Amino acid sequence: MDILPDRLPWYITGPALGVLVVGLFLIANQPLGASGAYVQTMKAARRDTDTVGWRVWYFGGIFVGGLLATVLGRGFEWRRGYDAMSAAGWSPGVMAVVVFLAAIIMGYGARMAGGCTSGHGICGTAQRSPASWATTATFVGTAIVVTFILTSLTGLGDLVMSDGSLGVQP
Amino acid sequence: MKNPMNVIGGLFGAGFGFVLAAAQLNEYDTIHKTLRFAEWDVFLLMGLAIGVSLPLLWVLERRGTTTVFGGRLSLSRSRIERHHIVGGALFGTGWALAGTCPAPALAMISSGAMYGTIAVTGLFIGLWLRDRQVERAAVSVPEGDGEHRVLSR
Repeated sequence: MDILPDRLPWYITGPALGVLVVGLFLIANQPLGASGAYVQTMKAARRDTDTVGWRVWYFGGIFVGGLLATVLGRGFEWRRGYDAMSAAGWSPGVMAVVVFLAAIIMGYGARMAGGCTSGHGICGTAQRSPASWATTATFVGTAIVVTFILTSLTGLGDLVMSDGSLGVQP
Repeated sequence: MKNPMNVIGGLFGAGFGFVLAAAQLNEYDTIHKTLRFAEWDVFLLMGLAIGVSLPLLWVLERRGTTTVFGGRLSLSRSRIERHHIVGGALFGTGWALAGTCPAPALAMISSGAMYGTIAVTGLFIGLWLRDRQVERAAVSVPEGDGEHRVLSR
């Protein structure tokens, strides 16, 4: 359904996210983080008695909200994802291994740092937490350096054209 | 408190997931292009989200606002420690390679991109590995500023 454009512009989605952050603090005094919701969902799966139940609903809500925006916008279709990697000629197997190992490192790092892109990057910085600002600066800086190294070594980056569109493998 | 909070949690999760998918933050290509400065939308989005919430939270905190279910609004501001820097560097490495992070990975699956399931599985394993390591070391780690926190009232 073309009710939404394929991509809502940042000047709408940015403030919308900001309002959600403030809203959850006003209602529950809690950050709009994601890694903590994974932890609670894991606890629920283990039937731990100290599970925070609403974080599990929140975890499921992210999934449902994403589906809704996709259906109303560019449309749902089953696909692999990671088009830029495919365009660079990476095999599905290599892509799967890279994504899997990277996600393990990411999960471990998020738990060690006490938050992720939403928890530290938006909610922590908005709380004016020095720890969150330091964590955010570190992960953004590291990600830029790692991306630079990755694109230099593999040519992955050459496939993004100057207008931001993705090129085709020559 | 338990039941209304479940519904509220579900709604906030849905709103969050909706924004992430509408902004295409759940696409590897978006994150990859951002990190190599081929587009600025994600940085602008994050900047505006902080730009809206930081001053509002500041004012609400100064006014001593009482939240609906969580008592008086209390923002957490921890000092910088080694684990923030090491964890942040590891997180950034994974973020760059997987091109997604915990919340967008969920919205990636529900947009139909099946490799999102690999990312979410890996995230669960990584989070669990850190928890297990901390448990074995028998140290207690306070909740991070970005995580769910136990409110003492």
